[in-house]
Amino acid sequence: MSSRRLDALDETLAKLPKSVSPERDLWPEIEAQIQAERQLKPAPRGLASRWVQLAAAVLLVVGSSLVTVVVMRDVPDETRSVAQVEAPRPETIAMPASFAGYRLGEDYLKARAQLDAAFEQRLALLPPAAREKVERNLNDIRAAAREIADTLAEHPTDPLLHELLMSTYQSELQLLVDVTHMTPAPATRVQL
Amino acid sequence: MRSIACGLLALFIAQGAAGETVERTAKAAPDGEVDIVNVSGDVHVIGWDRAEVQVQAELGPNVHELEFEPHGERTSIRVRQSNGRQEGASALRVHVPRDSSVSVNTVSASQTVEGVRGEQRLQSVSGSIRTEIAREDFQAKSVSGEIQVTGKGETSARVTTVSGDVELRDVGGELEMTSVNGGMQVIGGKIDRARLKTTNGQVRFESTLKQGARLDAEAINGSLEVVLRGTVDADFDIETFNGAIRNCFGPKPERTNEYAPGSALRFKEGKGSARVRLKTLNGPIELCR
Repeated sequence: MSSRRLDALDETLAKLPKSVSPERDLWPEIEAQIQAERQLKPAPRGLASRWVQLAAAVLLVVGSSLVTVVVMRDVPDETRSVAQVEAPRPETIAMPASFAGYRLGEDYLKARAQLDAAFEQRLALLPPAAREKVERNLNDIRAAAREIADTLAEHPTDPLLHELLMSTYQSELQLLVDVTHMTPAPATRVQL
Repeated sequence: MRSIACGLLALFIAQGAAGETVERTAKAAPDGEVDIVNVSGDVHVIGWDRAEVQVQAELGPNVHELEFEPHGERTSIRVRQSNGRQEGASALRVHVPRDSSVSVNTVSASQTVEGVRGEQRLQSVSGSIRTEIAREDFQAKSVSGEIQVTGKGETSARVTTVSGDVELRDVGGELEMTSVNGGMQVIGGKIDRARLKTTNGQVRFESTLKQGARLDAEAINGSLEVVLRGTVDADFDIETFNGAIRNCFGPKPERTNEYAPGSALRFKEGKGSARVRLKTLNGPIELCR
């Protein structure tokens, strides 16, 4: 481009206004909308028990996580990250750190930690032999989940593996919930 | 005020101490609820034609008391242990009106229920559960105890076990069964819906599928054996990632992927009214009639 044409362009640009005002002021309407939303009352709380709420929360979080997994199945590898799921105790096998390579999320980890704590409390009330069986079977579920997850890493698009892994996560959660609900009444202690 | 009266009534009725044999009887609604808790020993529930609940108890050495509380339509029977100790087996023999709903909760006590037509909710950690059920809803949960159920028609049954074996005989209607390592057997009965799920256990299903029925069975390392009784009219969807499929109906399984060991089998028998889905990771699948 010649220097004469550049000069003409500079001259035209210099004549343009520095700012442009909107035809009408939009802010009052936006502010009114925000105020209206703030005034909405929160939803009433349900009457479900704490454990049912907790279990529902965990299942909801897992469910939504799994839906995300299905939806995000085709996202490239470099966008994936891994979250650590805390094992309830060091000697037990932990569930896979992520679902098929996808992050399970902070909500899941939080709800999961609460459920683990409740489970540990109830587990301690069981007779030693039953406690050992529960722990051994929990490890079996987690070992199965790990096996599926490892296989899924080799065959990431296999729908059967996705289905079985999801089902195994549900089995593990169901076992935690069942044990948490089990034997509250017989454990009632009477001091003489 | 009402709770104080109930407390006094309970105090009045709660009797029986360690090592004693006691018997208590109270009037009860013909279709009321009976709630039984006993940590260890034995619970035997029998349905009868009287509008009464009767408990005969042999109390173990560490028992604090036997609570027997009839309250409206609900009768509560509890063996209370001393200082939370779980040893000291107590044996309860409880007669209930035949149409009662029964709930039994034990740790290591075995449970036997017979002649009860109402709803049953049975839960035991390590004791066995043996029961007859009718048409009302049934639910049983166990960690390591065996569960044996005999049915007399169609119902809705939900059975969960960790490592104990489960056997359902002549139970029809809707079934939901889960286990980790326990084996599951469903023998007889006419099925509307059945969902069977295990991690490492062996599943055997030998029943009749009704028109439009659904059978969904899944195992990770466990095996699935399905034997269909009567005329088979179903659409089959069978798949395993690493196991073998054996099919007595004729069609052969096919590889699902050139680079993976999985195989699948999809076919229709008759008009395909019912739907059968069988899935495993490593376990074998066998389908016959």
